[in-house]
Amino acid sequence: MTRKTDDKALDRRGFFKAVGGATTVAAAAVASPLAAPEAAAQASDDERRARYRETDHVKAFYRTNGYETLKK
Amino acid sequence: MARMKFLCDADRCIECNACVTACKNEHDVPWGINRRRVVTLNDGKPGERSVSMACMHCTDAPCAAVCPTSCFYNTADGVVLHSKDLCIGCGYCFYACPFGAPQYPRVGNFGTRGKMDKCTYCSGGPEADLTTAEYVKYGSNRLAEGKLPLCAELCSTKALLAGDGEIIARIYKERVLTRGYGSGAWGWKTAYRETVAL
Repeated sequence: MTRKTDDKALDRRGFFKAVGGATTVAAAAVASPLAAPEAAAQASDDERRARYRETDHVKAFYRTNGYETLKK
Repeated sequence: MARMKFLCDADRCIECNACVTACKNEHDVPWGINRRRVVTLNDGKPGERSVSMACMHCTDAPCAAVCPTSCFYNTADGVVLHSKDLCIGCGYCFYACPFGAPQYPRVGNFGTRGKMDKCTYCSGGPEADLTTAEYVKYGSNRLAEGKLPLCAELCSTKALLAGDGEIIARIYKERVLTRGYGSGAWGWKTAYRETVAL
């Protein structure tokens, strides 16, 4: 089988490529989260704050995990 | 400021999968999702090793870098969390994560993924602490209760360590010094040199 290389086939493929490219550019210009990452919702300071506390419960975990080796 | 880390002592892990079960039960994790898994290398052969794996809460998380809706955020504890309200289920984070941490519930037909779910280091999500809304979406918030992730607290052989990175690194270092040999971390000799002391 030979590959068709006539101008008509190339034009058809080129037409869809051009239409696809134009559509992509237009869509990106209208609204794209990738184009405007700063517009995405940002986590508040309250959501980012530290929850970890070295409570007696946590200290007991560290103690029991290191009881064989850690210096008393 | 303490940075939360997981550290699995591969010389102690016996592949009991208690960490996996505890996690699923504690957070009521949906069918088809495992926030934590035990990976076994050379199964059944001499030198078999098992490692408990979950989200490693990367400092520069690749999942956050590729997310088109920027639904990920880092807490002051160094934990990587995400908002299920912002997640669109695109699956980019699944492909970006080197540990396979992001998981998707199989809720719909035609390949729809639903909202991404991953290990939260037992510290909930963007909703208010210890609320029903938070529990339904992300599971329990043990860090807010003054506790550590249940997977590590339940580990019967003390293989899985969690907590302040500096403290658990010290515990692990003391173990290595007592044993007199390192974990034989895979790939070090390939990455550095054949003569590197492990």
